[in-house]
Amino acid sequence: MIEVKNLVKNYGTFPAVKGVSFSIGKGEIVGLLGPNGAGKTTIMKVLTCYHYPDGGSATLNGYDAIREPLQVKHQIGYLPEMAPVYTDLNVYEYLNFIAEARGIDGAEKGARIEKTAAECGLTSVLYKEIGNLSKGYRQRVGLAQAILHEPEILILDEPTTGLDPNQIIEIRNLIKKIGKEKTVLLSTHILQEVEAVCDRVLIVNDGLIAAEGTTEEIGKSLKGEPVLHLAVEADDADAVAERLKECEAVTAVRSAEAKNGRVTAAVQLTSESRSPELFDWAVKNRYRIAEMYFEKIGLEDIFIRLTHEGV
Amino acid sequence: MHSAIQPIVKKELKTYFNSPIAYIVFVVFLTAASVWFFLFNGFFAGNYASLRGYFSSFPFLFIIVIPAMTMRLWAEEKKMKSDEILLTLPFTETQLVLGKFFGAFVLFLIMIALTLPVPFLTAFTGSFEPGEMIGQYLGTALFGALCIAVGMFFSSLCSNQISAFLVSILALAFLVLSGYFPMMVEMPNALARIINTLFATHHFDSFKKGVLDSRDFIYFAGMTILFLYLNIRVLILKKWK
Repeated sequence: MIEVKNLVKNYGTFPAVKGVSFSIGKGEIVGLLGPNGAGKTTIMKVLTCYHYPDGGSATLNGYDAIREPLQVKHQIGYLPEMAPVYTDLNVYEYLNFIAEARGIDGAEKGARIEKTAAECGLTSVLYKEIGNLSKGYRQRVGLAQAILHEPEILILDEPTTGLDPNQIIEIRNLIKKIGKEKTVLLSTHILQEVEAVCDRVLIVNDGLIAAEGTTEEIGKSLKGEPVLHLAVEADDADAVAERLKECEAVTAVRSAEAKNGRVTAAVQLTSESRSPELFDWAVKNRYRIAEMYFEKIGLEDIFIRLTHEGV
Repeated sequence: MHSAIQPIVKKELKTYFNSPIAYIVFVVFLTAASVWFFLFNGFFAGNYASLRGYFSSFPFLFIIVIPAMTMRLWAEEKKMKSDEILLTLPFTETQLVLGKFFGAFVLFLIMIALTLPVPFLTAFTGSFEPGEMIGQYLGTALFGALCIAVGMFFSSLCSNQISAFLVSILALAFLVLSGYFPMMVEMPNALARIINTLFATHHFDSFKKGVLDSRDFIYFAGMTILFLYLNIRVLILKKWK
C-alpha cells in the first residue's frame, strides 16, 4: 500500500515534482509513465527515503517516509535506474551482502539467494564478478537484490532496460507474479510494457500527474465524442460527406476521401449507441458499407497528447 | 548496533581485497616505512634499542596511504550511483557511517599487523621495552582511526575518487604537519600549547615514547567521533538536496 499526498520536491530552484497525489493498493501493479525529466525517478527516490520531499507526504504500508525511514526501508525493494550494483563483487557476494543487510541469515540465506538467482536467470553467472557481466545481467542482478527479501512493496525504475526480448518477457512475468500479492510501482518509457504488465497507469508530465487510470479509462476521458471510420462504395467524396451530414446521428464529418472506388470518411457521432443508424442511412442513399469501426485511442496517442500539448 | 553494521564492514573488506587497492596500499606502506627506518633513519648505525624511528615515519606515510584507502568509501558510491541502493537498505545513517569506518579500520589494522615482523626481528638486536611497543601500536591505531574518519568525511563531500584523494591529503597534511611548527619556529609558549593540543603530532609523540596519557586518548577518540558525526550530518543533509 502506497499513499502519496501533494508531494512536492525541488532540486535547488528546479521544481521536479509539483504536487502529486496517488495511491496504490496491495495486489496492484501500477506503471509510472512519462517523458524523460517528468519526475518519475524523483517520486521513487522520495518513496524509498533517498530524498526528503519539500512538501506533502508519502506513506508506505502505514509508515511515513520522512519520520519512519527505517521501517519504510524494511517494507520496500528498490531497483534504481541503470541498476547500480557493486562491480567489484561477484553476484553471490553481492546478493549475500544484500541478504545480510536485510537481516536474512543462516540456512535461509543460501536458499533465498539460490531461489532468487534462479528466478532472475543468474544461476550460470553466480560466481562471476559483476564488473565483467553484460548490461542485461547487471540489470537482472539489480532486480534480484530488489526482490531477494520478498518485500511487500516493490519499486522498479525502468526494470527491463538493456534486456533482450526473451528476457523482457521473463522479467515481466516475474513482476506480474509478484504483483498478485504485493504492491508494485514501476516506471517505464516503453508503452507496451504498461499495457503488458500494469493494472493501472499514472502518466506524469512536468512534475504533475496528467492522467490516471486504466488505458481504456484514460482513452475515454480524452476522446470526447466517439469517432467512427466509415468506408462506402462511391466515387464522389463531397457527395458522401454532404449526405452524411443529413444523418441525425452525425454531428460532424471530419474528413472524406475517395480512393479505389471507395470513400472513406471519419464522422463524429452524438453517441456510440447510434452507430446502427448509419446502416439505415446507407440503405436510403443506396451506398454499400465496406468497412466501419470506431477509432480506438491507444496508449501512444494518449501519451503524445498528454505530454506534448500540456494539460 | 554491532551486528547491524557487520554486513557493511564485510562488504567493504571484500571490495578492498577484490580490487588491487588493498595490496598496493600495503606494499607502498610497508616498503616506505622499512626503507625510512633502516636506511634513512639509520637504525643499525644508531645503536640504541628503540623503534621510535620506525613509528615516527607513520604520520607522514598516513598522509598518502590513508586517503588511498578512504577516497572510494563515499565518492565511488556516488559516482557509480550505488548509493541509491545502499542508502535505501534498512540502515540508519549512523550504521552506514560506522560500517564503512570499521571496514576501512580493519583494513588499516591488517596493514599495521603486517609491520609486526619488524619489532620481532629487531628484538634480537637489543633490549626493547614491551611497554613502549604497546604504547606505540596503540597510538598508531588511534592515529589511524582519526585519519580514516577525516578521509572518509572528505570522501562524502566529493563526487569522484581523485578529488577525494587530493582533498584528504591536504587535510591530513594540515593535521599532521602543523604540529611541527612549535618545534621548528620560535613562538610564545601559549601558542605552542594551543597548537600541540589541536594537532595530532604532539599527541602521537607521547604514545611513541610509550607514555599513555588520558588526554591523548581523549584527543584521538574525540576528534574521530567528531568527524564521524560530521559524516553522518552530510548524509542526512544530502537527503534534502
